[in-house]
Amino acid sequence: MQKLKKFFSSSFVWLVMLFFYLPIFYVMVFSFNESKSLTRFTGFSLKWYQKMFETRTIREAIYYTVVIAVLATVISTVIGTVTAIGLSKSKKILRDVVLQVNDIPMMNPDIVTAIGFMLLFSSLNLEKGFWTILLSHIVFCIPYVILSVMPRLRQLDDNLAEAALDLGCTPIQALTMVIIPQLKSAIISGALIAFTMSFDDFVISFFTSGPGISTIAIYVYSSIKRINPTINALSTIIVLIVTVVLIVVNVVPMIKERKKRVAQ
Amino acid sequence: MKSFSKMAWPYAAWLGAFVVAPMLLILLYAFTKQGNDVLTLNFTLDNFAKFFSDSIFPVVLWRSLTIAFYTTIICILIGYPVAYIVAQMSEKKQAFFILLITLPMWINMLIRTYAWKGLLSYFDFDATFKVMVGMVYNFLPFMILQIHTSLSKLDRNLITAAQDLGANNVQTFLRVTLPLSIPGVISGITLVFLPAVSSFFIPKLLGGGEYVLIGNLVENYFISVGNWNYGSAISLIMALVIILSMFVTKKLDKKVGGEE
Amino acid sequence: MKKLLAVLLACAMVLTLAGCGGSEEKSDFDPIAEFGSDTLYVFNWGEYIGENTIENFEKKYNVTVKYNTFDSNEEMYTALLGGDVYDIIVPSDYMVERLIKEEMIQPLDLEALTNIGNIADGLKSPSYDPDHTYSIPYFQGSVGIAYDTTKVTREELEAEGWNILLNEKYKGQIFVYDADRDNFLPALKALGYSANTTNDDEINAAYNWLLKQAETMEPSYGTDEINDEMINGNYALAIVYSGAAAYIMSENEDIEYYEPFQGTNVWSDAMCIPSNAKSPKLALAWINFNLEKDVAIDNSTYVGYTSGHQEALEELSQGEFAGISAYTPRVGYELDETYKDDNNLKAKLAELWVKVKAAK
Repeated sequence: MQKLKKFFSSSFVWLVMLFFYLPIFYVMVFSFNESKSLTRFTGFSLKWYQKMFETRTIREAIYYTVVIAVLATVISTVIGTVTAIGLSKSKKILRDVVLQVNDIPMMNPDIVTAIGFMLLFSSLNLEKGFWTILLSHIVFCIPYVILSVMPRLRQLDDNLAEAALDLGCTPIQALTMVIIPQLKSAIISGALIAFTMSFDDFVISFFTSGPGISTIAIYVYSSIKRINPTINALSTIIVLIVTVVLIVVNVVPMIKERKKRVAQ
Repeated sequence: MKSFSKMAWPYAAWLGAFVVAPMLLILLYAFTKQGNDVLTLNFTLDNFAKFFSDSIFPVVLWRSLTIAFYTTIICILIGYPVAYIVAQMSEKKQAFFILLITLPMWINMLIRTYAWKGLLSYFDFDATFKVMVGMVYNFLPFMILQIHTSLSKLDRNLITAAQDLGANNVQTFLRVTLPLSIPGVISGITLVFLPAVSSFFIPKLLGGGEYVLIGNLVENYFISVGNWNYGSAISLIMALVIILSMFVTKKLDKKVGGEE
Repeated sequence: MKKLLAVLLACAMVLTLAGCGGSEEKSDFDPIAEFGSDTLYVFNWGEYIGENTIENFEKKYNVTVKYNTFDSNEEMYTALLGGDVYDIIVPSDYMVERLIKEEMIQPLDLEALTNIGNIADGLKSPSYDPDHTYSIPYFQGSVGIAYDTTKVTREELEAEGWNILLNEKYKGQIFVYDADRDNFLPALKALGYSANTTNDDEINAAYNWLLKQAETMEPSYGTDEINDEMINGNYALAIVYSGAAAYIMSENEDIEYYEPFQGTNVWSDAMCIPSNAKSPKLALAWINFNLEKDVAIDNSTYVGYTSGHQEALEELSQGEFAGISAYTPRVGYELDETYKDDNNLKAKLAELWVKVKAAK
């Protein structure tokens, strides 16, 4: 009875995993299809990969996606961390108000945030393009950094920074040498969330992009109308990179640890 | 130490410029007439009157709410058991499955949705079903992870205690595990329902051009029709409805919590 | 920490990926000296240019072309209003008319356009811009019905015309463009009205015609995806532009093109330079380049639309597209119309079209 139950429960979980991975495998298989069809596999070919590498728009889309994600992550992490530290020393009223407003981008549906930016840029007569996408990404990433750093700040011992100041540290030194090192793990996890949000975004980039610039998601969205197997190739490459990286990062430490244990 | 507090000021200004101002602009547009110049400020309620007096727009809103509601229910019905079963596993196995569940989330949502296009074209499902598959696929991981987090935080001793006191498995689950995992379910609901209501690319990709949800209306009015005032009004209505349903969910949560 | 490492690793991999295959030969041409700019921003319809045109232009003038696409005149117009700056846009006739009225496009330096004599005979003096002060024709065509001869007969079409789109025999087998004006066209024409009507009763009657279609026919709405769908035989009837039909017909012999007896829309799309363009000189070079015979043939062969270039048109209708009726749309039919610019009508139709879609 117990065994049967276990069998059913683990098959249920595997079934859900199948649901998660079936479409991904499907796309991967059809990226090697010789013909354009999405339903009939007519033969093995690498031509869609070749076409993908030859298409400049795709290369540019990949480039912009990564550059925007990296810049947005770095900038929003710096601003978010500095603000969080400032907030922890601020008056309660200011802190509460800022944190409330800070919640808005996280609670708003993407499309509302996006059209807000669109209206803002258009009323400021800003030309939409790389910089407007980047700015929007920074704006919606900072709240996640603050959200991640604030709780850790509350647990910090104020006396350490006080002591540093008493011992002759400048405030900047106290900040960089005492406070920030203690926040390291919270800052890193905030940065990671920011990166994922930016990298995964479509809606906000779509409404804030302009002439001559597209991200991977915008490229896919604008080319789905025709059957375009290069998207299958692009998806496959992205899936492979993500998988390899996640496996390396998760498995390598495990092997190292095992080796250590064996050595002992 | 006090000097550090100044470090929060620039961000307060930043919030005003890039978070508050856009929201005010949406409000301004929603309550003004369409014209070449917003600065003439022709205040009006026409946009809202137009929405609610129409025979079709409220239907679209209702359709978006129901499809998001069903998506959320399906995500709970699938997600809860998965999270529960995974939470019972050994630590190593848990880490493995969590990795399996998180991995697709690193792939752009648009690409994940696109992936279903070919697969679904084998079957003759109706558009609603296809859109629902796309939504469940995109949002289910959030639900599983949220519930899993709250289940794994659960104090094992409570379960042992309940069993020692004579509760059987079902009773233990209903009386101890379930109530304590409700916060996870609630935050899962937020993470599924909210994007599901406002989604516009999932219906567009999987439902064909004819499947219109409230998000598509907003996109249409901003991108093709070019009536930003009405588009703003629709998005405002959408945001209000979402806030309202979140409020109701939180109230329900308190009620469930209160019964203990 | 290890996750951070993961992100860095992934970025490095992706950037290498984006970087490879990036080496392109360039000529010695100095675009800055000649045109004052080396980047051209082009805003064109999706699937509306030859496979090699952009690359050839870039090589010839040693420049970079940033290419974006749109699905409808309205989408393009909204983008311009929203502040997007392009050097070349390709609006249709009625949109050119509006852009001239609103001074959103600039007069062309016709002296610089050495190939201007190549414009197709039928487009030498278009009603919206008779002297080509603002626009140079790119493609032309009509709106009609592409049908699968294994499912629908010519006789049926000739008997019913546009009304075949309400014939429940073809329920679930029809496809129409997701474009407001082109969808009101069949409805208005089927009811015997003008495509440029300003009569609210007529517009409402057409709206009800479309609602009936939405409710009883299970139509699919979309854009370019119809090309592949029709080639694969997935639909019986589709409202398409003649050029799309020509492309479909060249890929699937069972497909034919029919222009209904109630009349249809004949249109042309033209290259224009927006008033706020940053590289107007380079834009002129682009227009002139597209008026070269080889380029025009390359463009037209790839997309299937009727060329706006006289020699290319003649050569292709006897060569590549010989026997494909859709490549040479009918001319001079009394009930055929060109759309006229009418802000009020456009706004009404856009609104009603959203509602038709939502009603399904």
